[in-house]
Amino acid sequence: MRNILKKEMFLTASVVTYVFILFGLMFFLPGYPILCGAFFSALGIFKSFESAREANDIVFSALLPIAKKDVVKGKYYFVCTIEVSSLFLMMLAMILRMTLLSDSTVYRNNVMMNANLFALGAAFIIFGLFNWIFVMGFFKTAYKYGKPFVIFIIVAFLSIGVFEALHHIPGFEGLNAFGCDNIILQLSMLIVGLLIYILMTILSCKKACEYFERIDL
Amino acid sequence: MSIIEVCDIVKKYPSFELKNASFGIEGGEITGFIGRNGAGKTTTIKTMLNLIHLDGGKVSYFGKNLTDNEVEIKKRIGYSTGTLSWYPRKKIKDIAGAIKPFYESWDEESYRKYLNMFGLDEMKMPVELSEGMKVKFNLLIALSHRAEVLILDEPTSGLDPFSRNELLDVFEELKKQGVAVFFSTHIISDIEKCADTIVYISKGNIVAALSKNDFVKSYSKKGESLEDTILRMESEGGATYA
Repeated sequence: MRNILKKEMFLTASVVTYVFILFGLMFFLPGYPILCGAFFSALGIFKSFESAREANDIVFSALLPIAKKDVVKGKYYFVCTIEVSSLFLMMLAMILRMTLLSDSTVYRNNVMMNANLFALGAAFIIFGLFNWIFVMGFFKTAYKYGKPFVIFIIVAFLSIGVFEALHHIPGFEGLNAFGCDNIILQLSMLIVGLLIYILMTILSCKKACEYFERIDL
Repeated sequence: MSIIEVCDIVKKYPSFELKNASFGIEGGEITGFIGRNGAGKTTTIKTMLNLIHLDGGKVSYFGKNLTDNEVEIKKRIGYSTGTLSWYPRKKIKDIAGAIKPFYESWDEESYRKYLNMFGLDEMKMPVELSEGMKVKFNLLIALSHRAEVLILDEPTSGLDPFSRNELLDVFEELKKQGVAVFFSTHIISDIEKCADTIVYISKGNIVAALSKNDFVKSYSKKGESLEDTILRMESEGGATYA
């Protein structure tokens, strides 16, 4: 499996994918929907799927001496590596905003979502949606990536809208906590987001393997 | 026993059907797979590589069923196509570097040897190669992991007569080294020049799978060349000979 991941990273991946990891740093931006950082990192991954198709990567991989399902798993390992890298940058920004910058006026006056544990949990969900809608959807044909990506765009922006709106609803203000306020609630939201991400990724990977086994290349 | 056995394979598409195709390929021989465009050559080759699902029949390599031993078998075979090129904008060196770890049998010495023999520059990208050189690049990869069988889909299509001749000479050279070469083509003179065995397909039916001499004995009329024979058979319906 290490070999197929290496092949994905050094041969198949578009440089744009690696550059777009940096969008994780959007967690520093005040007055901006920070979850768009997750969307842009996902857009970077999409670019690798695009270049993979141009390079006939799927047939090439299917001809390698590996099981057909390992072609799918290789893509998932690659996608998750990029997502986790982006989440790592988000986490760094979040830690700084929760500690050193927690009293910064510019962040205190921010009407948009605050970069806290809940936001990180929400970013996990956005990536989970990408894996579920786009990556799994791609493997229905191992060729068409336009439709699953358009569906992901719609769902992702609706989700971002919902996550951004939540803390304005009475009773949900605690989700926009600064520093370590409401830490139990924040932590619970992060764990929920993480679990949803893991579940969506594992289940979609299994389903994508089934789809890929069925199609003719 | 044949090194590859294709037994009664069936693949149905809405407008085309591969019908109970059966033939065997011997080790250290060159087998030419001839048929007109749309006869079912690529479909057959794709079934031989497990890229498409069979509706019936089975394919075995080295006495082992392909679907149950796919990983092991793929380590021992090589594939090339004249119509697809992989990673057009990556250097040959990088493509080879990514493939290498998948094969325990990868032989760096062979890689260097064939790189020189084929006149390939590993700093070049497939997009910079001519069609003939692209085929040679695929052969380079297959031979570097010591493939015992080469399955080549239309390797000579789109090549000028000089490059075709050169490639057919490479096949002869590989045959001497004990590599079995199975190549599809619609150019009869390619078969005439170097094939030991002919597998002729027409409208999804394997019409004949015989040594070249037996094919000529069975189907050629007096004074007919192999090209004349196959053209006549095809014009008479091809599949009716099956």
